Amino acid sequence: MSISDFRTPHRLDEALSTIKQLGPSALVVAGGTSFIFAPVNEDRVAVDINGAGLDGIRRENGGFRVGAATRLSALQKHHEAGWVLDRVAIHLASQQLRNMSTLGGNIARIFPWSDFAVALQALGATMVIAENGERQVGADEYFSSQPARLFKNGGLLTAVIVPAVGGGAGFGYRKQTQASFGFSLMTVAACMELEGRTVKSVRVAAGAGIPFPSRLKAVEEAVKGQAVKEGVFADAAARGLAGLKFKSNAGMSEEYIANLARVLVGDALTEAWQSAKGGAA
Amino acid sequence: MTQQKNISFTLNGEKRSFTIAPDEKLVKLLRRSGCLGVKEGCDEGTCGACTVLIDGKAALSCITYAFLADGRDVRTIESLGTFEKPHRLQTALVEEGAVQCGYCIPGMILSAEALMKEIPEPTDEDIRVHMDGNFCRCTGYEKIWTAVRRVAAERAGKGVANA
Ligand SMILES: Cc1cc2nc3c(=O)[nH]c(=O)nc-3n(C[C@H](O)[C@H](O)[C@H](O)COP(=O)(O)OP(=O)(O)OC[C@H]3O[C@@H](n4cnc5c(N)ncnc54)[C@H](O)[C@@H]3O)c2cc1C
Ligand code: FES
Ligand code: FES
Repeated sequence: MSISDFRTPHRLDEALSTIKQLGPSALVVAGGTSFIFAPVNEDRVAVDINGAGLDGIRRENGGFRVGAATRLSALQKHHEAGWVLDRVAIHLASQQLRNMSTLGGNIARIFPWSDFAVALQALGATMVIAENGERQVGADEYFSSQPARLFKNGGLLTAVIVPAVGGGAGFGYRKQTQASFGFSLMTVAACMELEGRTVKSVRVAAGAGIPFPSRLKAVEEAVKGQAVKEGVFADAAARGLAGLKFKSNAGMSEEYIANLARVLVGDALTEAWQSAKGGAA
Repeated sequence: MTQQKNISFTLNGEKRSFTIAPDEKLVKLLRRSGCLGVKEGCDEGTCGACTVLIDGKAALSCITYAFLADGRDVRTIESLGTFEKPHRLQTALVEEGAVQCGYCIPGMILSAEALMKEIPEPTDEDIRVHMDGNFCRCTGYEKIWTAVRRVAAERAGKGVANA
């Protein structure tokens, strides 16, 4: 019982009609790297979306529109003012996996270690879903629980709209692994906007060391409106994380992961602040 | 019902047709097609022994469905050098004493080749970023990286790099 056949549609409308026609037996395949973790246990027909024109990064309305089938290596190697996902991609697994995995595949069905689920929540990205027309879903709703729920009835993630970071805003990212290529013990991303020395707005998200990648609203509340001075981010991390439940992982205790989270949240906030005041993302 | 399907792709420069099971992995197809330089190590995407080049980019054939290769350009170590006519990366690895059991080496070479095609003069950081998905259980990596630096320097016309 596994993949019993495959289709290779050449356009988006063809991909959607193929998925619709196949019904529940359709299995969307982009990079195909996830099936080692989520084995295919029943007969399914693979729909290879790599030829459907869903790849590429382009500027749109001051941000970026990234096709769902864009390889993570393309994100890694894209360098442009306002673009920060190169800093996320380069820390994901190995070059081979970055060459294979797609942005859409990383977030259409997320695993506890999904790096982009963290970064895109901090950035406040918007996901574009095609299914009887097109709709846009904001990061908070999209990542409120397993996104695979949104594709059950034949929908496809077609693009991710990623805000550009700049002009008084900055981005910080921290991922702690044991070896460079290992799964994350704790991942944190922060996006901050400054007004003078005061934090005007901030979004912070974390993953891996907590049950599900999500925003850290208590940390955000502890930081927002603060005048930045020595120790302010470490304090906010300690206060904002106090009520959170952490997962032990890879031989590390819950206490260790909690401490790691405090350090990484403080560091990601500091990095976001430094880039915000420095003018570069 | 699982049916056999036909696909075709360019394997080591030659256009070929293959009959596959829809759930067959590329590593199995390549090995049964005679490319025994493609190694199976972990079979789960971690070690890099099964690395091949798909459209010039390093990819893991153990977790790649064979059907994803349809219409593409696939290269294995067999396209780079032979016993009689080894590739410069192969001779450099031997000269540096960088090969012990050799199981990781085909994947190492293909990752290095893809890197040097993209970045002709890679820094140590570029080498780390592009090759840390290739595990070696014998050598400790230093001599392998020295060989890569040396070939890159030669190609850039800078003679033998002193690593
Ligand atoms: C050894 C290893 C280590 C890894 N380490 C990390 C890591 O540290 N951090 C990290 O974030 N990731 C990591 N990954 C990658 C991650 O686990 C996923 O395998 C990968 O991101 C999936 O991307 P893909 O393009 O291969 O998707 P696929 O495997 O093709 O698909 C993933 C899922 O999404 C669905 N899907 C794909 N595209 C769409 C779409 N456009 N619309 C709707 N549904 C879609 C598929 O049906 C499937 O359910 C690792 C993978 C491996 C093998
Ligand atoms: S055999 Fe493919 S990565 Fe180990
Ligand atoms: S030489 Fe033995 S694994 Fe590298």
